[in-house]
Amino acid sequence: MGRIALLWIASLATLLLWGQSQAHETQPGLLELNQLSPERYEVLWRAPIYYGKPHPASVALPENWRPLGEPTVRQLPDSALHRSVVEVAGGSIDSSVIRFPGLEGTITDVFVRVSRLDGSEVSQVVRPFQPFAELRGERPWYVSSGEYLLLGFNHILMGIDHLLFVLGLLIIVQGRIMLIKTITAFTVAHSITLALATLGYASIPGPPLNAAIALSILFLGPEIVRVWRGQTSFTIRHPWVVAFAFGLLHGFGFASGLSTVGMPKAEIPLALLAFNIGVELGQLAFVFLMLLLVRAFRVLELHWPRWAELLPGYAVGSLGAFWTIQRTVMMF
Amino acid sequence: MKLRLFPFVAGLLLLAPPASAHLVTSGLGPFYDGALHLLLSPADLLGLLAVTLLAGLRGPQAGRWTVLILPGAWFVAGLIGLHAGIGFDLPWVSVLLLLVLGVMVAADAKLPAGAVAALAGLLGALQGLANGSALAELGAGPVAMLGIAGSAFVLALLVCAAVVSLRPAWTRIAVRAVGSWVAAVGLLMFGWLSQTA
Repeated sequence: MGRIALLWIASLATLLLWGQSQAHETQPGLLELNQLSPERYEVLWRAPIYYGKPHPASVALPENWRPLGEPTVRQLPDSALHRSVVEVAGGSIDSSVIRFPGLEGTITDVFVRVSRLDGSEVSQVVRPFQPFAELRGERPWYVSSGEYLLLGFNHILMGIDHLLFVLGLLIIVQGRIMLIKTITAFTVAHSITLALATLGYASIPGPPLNAAIALSILFLGPEIVRVWRGQTSFTIRHPWVVAFAFGLLHGFGFASGLSTVGMPKAEIPLALLAFNIGVELGQLAFVFLMLLLVRAFRVLELHWPRWAELLPGYAVGSLGAFWTIQRTVMMF
Repeated sequence: MKLRLFPFVAGLLLLAPPASAHLVTSGLGPFYDGALHLLLSPADLLGLLAVTLLAGLRGPQAGRWTVLILPGAWFVAGLIGLHAGIGFDLPWVSVLLLLVLGVMVAADAKLPAGAVAALAGLLGALQGLANGSALAELGAGPVAMLGIAGSAFVLALLVCAAVVSLRPAWTRIAVRAVGSWVAAVGLLMFGWLSQTA
């Protein structure tokens, strides 16, 4: 019964997600303010490509920041880079408020980084529900940590493909010990690659990475069907191995949500740790909710016809196939 | 806070003026905005709680039907409200239904599963229409409505299953006590509406 419940949850999730063909486009934006002279700042606004279109959010600088010269725009493969230089009367930008009109209607977070001539660097995260940044000096470590933790938590909840993969694993896994082993393997694996990618030791370009992540979901579809036919396979016997292998890929995907470009070096370990904890908490919350729902299905004795039991496996596989083909085509 | 103050405080929360109704911005897109909207709307939550408690008390069959019919009616009515785009608010009916449901839970009314499901459908339809028309005014789309219905499904499933699985007699009494609080809140709202009408 538990597996039927999970299958139906997977099926419903798949149907809900079918329309979101461009799943998991949550690359953050980046606003850098680099002090050039006591009163001059370089403003770099990197707006990610949003579902294949220019990002709807813009940057509204404080009125007393006087633009010098014409701003420039450079198109990068994954974003548009806007550059301008401004003069700030008095030189102090503390307490200034930078707004991001249009951000509130999106799912994009924005990193704001300030580098001053004295070598000090500060960063903060702006979220869509509070689309502005009030510039301040140094902030306590726990404030930054909280921001990165929330960022990680939100990132996995928005990462439909990651969640679908975890759901697929939950359907395949048999027994509590195996469940713990599998989820732990996935966690360890994605933590490794998240750290490697964030620290700059390894990277995979976005398009093939997204295609490979979609492939991991496609991979689980036939395995789910095998489970229901009573057959076995290496994946069914050792789901933790598959979780670990694909977890390495998913870790690179998580890293796309944490931009460390221009981040003060001293802050990177803290940001990485807090972001990863956020991802784990989000993942655990999802797994816990799924287990609760499974129990609820069992208690209410919700039964489904035999033919319907196979549907979710095919649905997960089809969605994985759709994403794989779509993302592969997008590479060329 | 003493438990006897619960209906009063809950009533105050529920009597927030309609202008305070808005779609919560979760920052995670319209689906999550919708899901969060239900979780942060005390009046909607209380109605859902009452009908799912009643269904849970009546056993697995009533629970099953409620879990399927409540969010289904909520979603379909929500889409109707969304497309009709007219302000829809029937506070008297909603409050009366809340009061009736609370009394039924408190009395552990021996309703057949079909009647419980019908009440769940009625509640879902009323809430859905109200949500849908409110979302239309905000310019939100069906995805937000899907989030609300999805959230209603998950909550209904969890509450129904939790009540059905209760075994000791005192736990059922505790559920009935919660029903009496819901009834008290409904009565308070009824009185308030009478005063302000």
